[in-house]
Amino acid sequence: MPDQRIATTKVAGTWAWFFQRLSAVLLVVFLGIHLYASHFMDLGEHESGESLISFDDVTLRLDQVFYIVVDYGMLSMVLVHGLNGLRTVLFDFDMFVKRKKYIDVGLWMVGIVTLIWGIVILFPFITGG
Amino acid sequence: MKIRDLKWLFGRNSEFWPTNIKTGMWAWIGHRITGLVLVVYVFMHLSFLSTASISSGDFNSLMEVTSKPLFVAMDFVLIIAVIFHAMNGFRVIMFDLGLGVRHQKLVFWIAMAIAAILIIGGLWALWDIIFVPSEGGG
Repeated sequence: MPDQRIATTKVAGTWAWFFQRLSAVLLVVFLGIHLYASHFMDLGEHESGESLISFDDVTLRLDQVFYIVVDYGMLSMVLVHGLNGLRTVLFDFDMFVKRKKYIDVGLWMVGIVTLIWGIVILFPFITGG
Repeated sequence: MKIRDLKWLFGRNSEFWPTNIKTGMWAWIGHRITGLVLVVYVFMHLSFLSTASISSGDFNSLMEVTSKPLFVAMDFVLIIAVIFHAMNGFRVIMFDLGLGVRHQKLVFWIAMAIAAILIIGGLWALWDIIFVPSEGGG
């Protein structure tokens, strides 16, 4: 077994290794901004004094281009990190190493489709309904 | 495949048998499990946000549901997964840079100590929502 595990680290590739680290560091930064902006930042519109997030809160936040960049940048880094991580896990199994091309194409497709989904999700918040 | 072929995975002498697992292996297993949990979470998160594409009212009522104690308790599980994954990931990057490899067990436990402090901070932040019943009977 140990021999096979060493082999799979070769399967994954150096760029995958590099971007996994880069996206990891960026995600910690993005997550900090994302959590602060969603749960702690005062948008000056909580009449009820509750911390409940509403559609209007998110719309107000996404009026600023900065937060659109943060949210979409975070989604892209999440996809790089999450799907690449999933790829690493899959390549610990021989049956997936044998189908490397299909796994790679499949994961790229999931990533691209989810990026488009991300635009669809942001749309109502940016246009305000 | 015969059952004894799986001895390397489940047997008493397997490196995966709980008492045979070493520090780095616990870190590896934890990193995998929390990583997979977080991938599932991200797609749940995107699905929930998609309710805004139906109507702002649908989004708001879903946000009300997710602010209930049960969901916030699940948020605490999420906090544990994120913090463990981030702290252990920090340790992985340190070792990639060649820092602290000779003291790898100590580095793991320092990372876990920081993780524990952050997790307790998270519990403190969520405590009232999870355990103190709101007036509206949330």
